[in-house]
Amino acid sequence: MAATLAGVPARPRRLLASRRTRIGILYALPAVAYLLALFVYPIFSTLLLSVQDLDGSLTLHWYADALTGVNLSVLFTTLRIAAETALFSLVIGFLLANAISRLRPLPAALAMLIVVVPHFISALVRTYGWIIMLGDKGLVNQLLAGLGVPGAPYQLLYNEIGVVIGTTAMMLPYTVLLLYGVMRGVDRRLLAAAASMGAGRLVIFRRVYLPLVAPGLATAGLLSFILALGYYITPALMGGPNQTMIASLINQQVMKQNQWNGAAAEGVILLLLTFAGLLLVKLVSSLGEAKKRSAS
Amino acid sequence: MTTSPIGRRALLRGAAALAALPALAACGTGTSRSSSASGGSGAGGGKTVAVRNSGGAYGEALKKAIYDPFTQETGITVQVANLDGAQVLAQIKQGRPQVDLIDNSMMDHAKFVRENALEQLDLDRLKNVKTAQLPENLITEYAVAVNFYAQCMAYRTDAFGGRKPESWADFWDAKAFQGGRSMCNPDADLPELEFALLADGVAMDKLYPLDVDRAFKAMERIRGEVKKFWDSGPLPGMLLTRQEVTMATVWHGRLADLFKQGVPVAAQLNGARRQFQGYAIAKGAPHLDAAYQLFDYSIRPEVQARLAMTYPTNPSSPLAYDKISEEVRNGLAGAPQYYDKGFDADTEWWLKNEEAVTKRWLGWARG
Repeated sequence: MAATLAGVPARPRRLLASRRTRIGILYALPAVAYLLALFVYPIFSTLLLSVQDLDGSLTLHWYADALTGVNLSVLFTTLRIAAETALFSLVIGFLLANAISRLRPLPAALAMLIVVVPHFISALVRTYGWIIMLGDKGLVNQLLAGLGVPGAPYQLLYNEIGVVIGTTAMMLPYTVLLLYGVMRGVDRRLLAAAASMGAGRLVIFRRVYLPLVAPGLATAGLLSFILALGYYITPALMGGPNQTMIASLINQQVMKQNQWNGAAAEGVILLLLTFAGLLLVKLVSSLGEAKKRSAS
Repeated sequence: MTTSPIGRRALLRGAAALAALPALAACGTGTSRSSSASGGSGAGGGKTVAVRNSGGAYGEALKKAIYDPFTQETGITVQVANLDGAQVLAQIKQGRPQVDLIDNSMMDHAKFVRENALEQLDLDRLKNVKTAQLPENLITEYAVAVNFYAQCMAYRTDAFGGRKPESWADFWDAKAFQGGRSMCNPDADLPELEFALLADGVAMDKLYPLDVDRAFKAMERIRGEVKKFWDSGPLPGMLLTRQEVTMATVWHGRLADLFKQGVPVAAQLNGARRQFQGYAIAKGAPHLDAAYQLFDYSIRPEVQARLAMTYPTNPSSPLAYDKISEEVRNGLAGAPQYYDKGFDADTEWWLKNEEAVTKRWLGWARG
């Protein structure tokens, strides 16, 4: 997968398939054993749990449960909120990372710190902070009302707006760090060269800069989508019942109802969704590679 | 740009590993035994007992009011583990419970009984059950209730021009008592169907078995006013303090902090729902004797009273209230002058119906 992604031709790879590769496999053995025991085995036992009935016989009715009625609508909600979060954290993260990558090292480090520090505060405390900011009597609404903005106070909490604000803020450190790394790697001389050939700022951005950072964008977007899929504390605290996420249902089943099979089925569905997301990004990026190759 | 493909490859690999995180976080909770809080034999050969509680301020109060004095009196060290109920259950099923004594809601104890996870109690070893004059219904074969919490309404005293909401009907009356409401989410506690039925005119002693259809119909009338379904104990207090709502259902004990801060909030205990908290012994508990000793110690009226003086919890022993200072007693939902205003949640009914009601609640609330 990595080989096709990177677009490395097959010939040099075959040359490497010799002693070096075999030694490499030997080195990888401990890690593989570790993953088998602590990662693959638990996932398979979860898989097994999800197709077992209470008396141990095989069944698919946990999946049927998970994919009907209110559970299905919760699943769609989860996808929707994850997608919204990915989109917003990508756009805002892009702007922030772009700004930070232009700063000198010291201010850049400081700006980075400001982006990351909120992560060290407990989710509960942070959410109470949001209530003080976004509530009907919160800072934002007071300010808007004071300025005489029509329609204020706006409902910024306990609905989808509140959830997306919260999850996006949670996700920003990831997207900013990731995009910042990619943006630092962009050779500025390429942009200068494009400018010297008479390209306008917009054209430089679209034809030179964006293609150079595109892989980073795809990864950052995917990462925030996947992480948001499993969120539930922030959506539970900042949203309403219409923003219930699937992880919340899993938690309820395990903690309140001691119902592990149904929870396992929902966990497996979540895992499959994640794989689908990965596959999608791989497809898009390999399409991009193919297009680039045919263009050159 | 030459380094870019490698960087991206590494990133994708990282992303692939992260892909499994949500699933792991969701499913892995109970499958692994946490080894951090050890529950084995104590150091230095001294006797120990391991007890599960929910931690937080309540856990600290338990240590100060019960565990420490108990150690002083008996020389038995008390180890505390703040495990989730699901974790304890999984451990018992594996035959290696980390805790001997479980401090939990009576409802959860009943769920454990269904799973055959508790020791049947030998009441002869719990002498204080008699001396504390616990009501009959608080003593079961597998667990004994030591205190309760009340879920009631709280309101801002500055919101209604000096008028006081007196009943759940007033809570439901958004015209006479304007402003947003907050009610509990099943993540936090049982859905508040009883309150809806009381608001709809059902008498308090005729609540159970609950008329679920009627309750949801009544809930529908207040749905539009509910700004937030709270899912953690401090949230309703926070919403009242920030004036996001004017009335909320609340765990009564949580109001003590607000009173201390001088927030203009008051509780109305008419129609409050009581739920009991108690002790049970894990099946296969390694320190059975010590567990019985701490169990029996916790039931003593004076120990219950000491806990109530440390943390706003309501003793199950009627004798305990005489041993509490009047000032503290007047702040307790269990005080004799308030007791008749509330009702006990019917554990039996909820055990049978919780799952279905919770599911229906979610469908209703998402509406």
